[in-house]
Amino acid sequence: MQVKRILVAVTALAAVAALAGCQSSDDGGNGGSDATSGGEATSGGDTTSGDDTTSGGDTDQQTSGEAVELSLWMLTQDGSQGTGIETIISGFEAANPGITIKLETRETDEHKDAMRQAAGTPAEPDLYFYWEGPGLGGELVDQGVSLDLTSYYQQYGWDARFSEAVLANITQYGGYHGVPWTIQGEALYYNKDLFAQAGIDALPTNYDELVAAADKLVAAGITPISVGGTVNWHVMRVLDSFIEAECGAETGNALNTLQASWADTPCVTEVFTDLKTWGDKYFNEGYMGIDNNQASDLFYMEVSAMQLEGTWFDAQIVDGGLDPEKVGILPFPTGTGRLYGFGEALYIGAQSKHPDEAAKFLDYMSSTSTQEQVVGIWGALSVNKDVAPATDNPLHALWPPIFDSATGLYLNNDQNMPLDATTEYWRIQNSVLTGDIAPENAGTEFQKFIDAR
Amino acid sequence: MSVVATAPPGQTRTRRRQPRRFAQAIPYLLPAAILYGWFLLYPIIDSVRLSFQEWNGFRNSPRQWVGLDNYKRLFTADPVFWKAATNSLIWVVLSLAVPMILSLLLALALNRKMRGRNLFRSIFYIPAVFASITVAAMWSWIYNPNFGALNQTLEAIGLGSLKHSWLGEPKIAFYAIFVASIWQGVGFNMVLFLAGLQQVPNDLVEAAKIDGASAWQRFWVVVMPALRPTTVVVIILTIINSLKVFDLIVGMTAGGPAQSSQVLALWSYTQSFSNHTFGQGGATATVLLIMSLCLVVPYLAWSMKGDEK
Repeated sequence: MQVKRILVAVTALAAVAALAGCQSSDDGGNGGSDATSGGEATSGGDTTSGDDTTSGGDTDQQTSGEAVELSLWMLTQDGSQGTGIETIISGFEAANPGITIKLETRETDEHKDAMRQAAGTPAEPDLYFYWEGPGLGGELVDQGVSLDLTSYYQQYGWDARFSEAVLANITQYGGYHGVPWTIQGEALYYNKDLFAQAGIDALPTNYDELVAAADKLVAAGITPISVGGTVNWHVMRVLDSFIEAECGAETGNALNTLQASWADTPCVTEVFTDLKTWGDKYFNEGYMGIDNNQASDLFYMEVSAMQLEGTWFDAQIVDGGLDPEKVGILPFPTGTGRLYGFGEALYIGAQSKHPDEAAKFLDYMSSTSTQEQVVGIWGALSVNKDVAPATDNPLHALWPPIFDSATGLYLNNDQNMPLDATTEYWRIQNSVLTGDIAPENAGTEFQKFIDAR
Repeated sequence: MSVVATAPPGQTRTRRRQPRRFAQAIPYLLPAAILYGWFLLYPIIDSVRLSFQEWNGFRNSPRQWVGLDNYKRLFTADPVFWKAATNSLIWVVLSLAVPMILSLLLALALNRKMRGRNLFRSIFYIPAVFASITVAAMWSWIYNPNFGALNQTLEAIGLGSLKHSWLGEPKIAFYAIFVASIWQGVGFNMVLFLAGLQQVPNDLVEAAKIDGASAWQRFWVVVMPALRPTTVVVIILTIINSLKVFDLIVGMTAGGPAQSSQVLALWSYTQSFSNHTFGQGGATATVLLIMSLCLVVPYLAWSMKGDEK
């Protein structure tokens, strides 16, 4: 009996101890956001530039004959993305004997944690993938993790390779941080048949017309837009667009970067009122209980008429079994001319012992000839303005004119805001939708959190 | 005449041997003790230390000592903490009330001689071997408001008015997750109770029967006291598992909607690894540790006292 009691006691205390200890361990898990960073405008523009290139040049490595291994940290690359990155790496290594790339991939949250753990230490990679925007990429820049690439931009003439808008993401922190990896636009994908069925003859060109279209869809018994509420960032996309529509670009930027007061800016109440209205009238039934994939099923099955997604959705529509010819893409009519979207980049680590070789890799990766081989794998459009969009999906062709007509980009707020503010932003957003916070109190509630940070 | 107390010769020898045996045991204990200290004790101490510091998770960022600021913020300015703490306690109470009783009833039912007994035991135990995240995925689909089995069934049997967005309504979501946890957890406790029931002397039960004890009296006066050690284990494990519930909630609602199904373990994780406010996360984890000790230690002491009597 004594032994049994001791066993019980030890078991219980060990389990309690494990419970406390788990806070300090990293067992992966949820990860808040899926999409991430952000960008600035994209416009096409003239195509001069493009030093199409790769290897060449005599570097220290080549003259000394020493083998160099560059570490590259990225997100997990499956399927065609795995093949794509392999194409880039093997092509680079073949063109640059003596330089090898060691690729390490992780899931989203693990990648973020790894970068934090390695920051400022010799473990920092030579090259790393990260999102753009002040909330994520900017945080690493502030921490001194990213090397300023100004001299390499001059050396390789990269300024001419990317459009001004794509470059704005790179220069937003001062200097040049990273080389563009992807540019992702987000817009309303709509079902042409369901729009026709509801009697929507012309696409909405402003917010009021969008609301009118949603009313017509409801009247026709069609769910206007599908969202998945369990992943907060899916609903957030709609809320972000309301901010752009109701507050305008300048005030929107100030709010999203926490520079303006959410309590005192009048448009904030309108934004949350819009959100509540859409939640009550236009979102799919039970949206708070499903995730983005389940919401997408509604779109694929032609139950819902719209979904706010990014360029990656082109391929997902095909995978979901919906004929892409039935689908159109409509930028959220905010009235500012800016497109919703974000960008991702490859950065050189500030601790890298081989920045010249790393820059050479970035030059090879973003060159026209390389990008032509991999276009369409990570996004419909290449970051290199000389590369035509992929042709394997008819939806890809719809994006260039959208980018061309955009005057800039407005970012996803989970890339604009600090992480803790994003979590609270989502809580406020969902509380308004569930009726726990009145739209007129939402701004004050959020500002209270910001002030207490 | 003086009396000199002397220990029996054998006992003296044993006492002399003890320090030597302890010294001999040290090399065998040391590796495990080091691992235990490094992987369990150190993280606990570090976590508590972190709760008095501000740190953003960057290795090159200094940890700043902020005293009790994290606790102050947690108790006065954190919009989620109290909800998470309340939910954690509700989860403990419900887990002690519902699945424990259900598992005991199942164990009693399946302890009888009956056809298909082993089959039923397996059926009820199977959910316990599933990973929680798998259970979360299954139940998320069952609760799907559009295509889920639950709403479809309610519709089919004419109870369409009872349909809900089970994981999307703040007042329901937390309890909907709890139902999934019952489904998953009952089997394990049932097995523990079944093992305990095997230890109940049949003679005692038969004697009570002959003495005219009713079924309830036999259960309450004979079986339950014999099940006491098992019950202690089940209660302690239930409390601890309830306080650290995490993956089911992550998989089904991630604490939502609007943090309505948030619990302390997940909130601590979110603050640390999503928000990267490690000081806040450490403070939440420390509160959870204290809560766990407050719940488990008194019960343990009480039950051990009971055993001594």
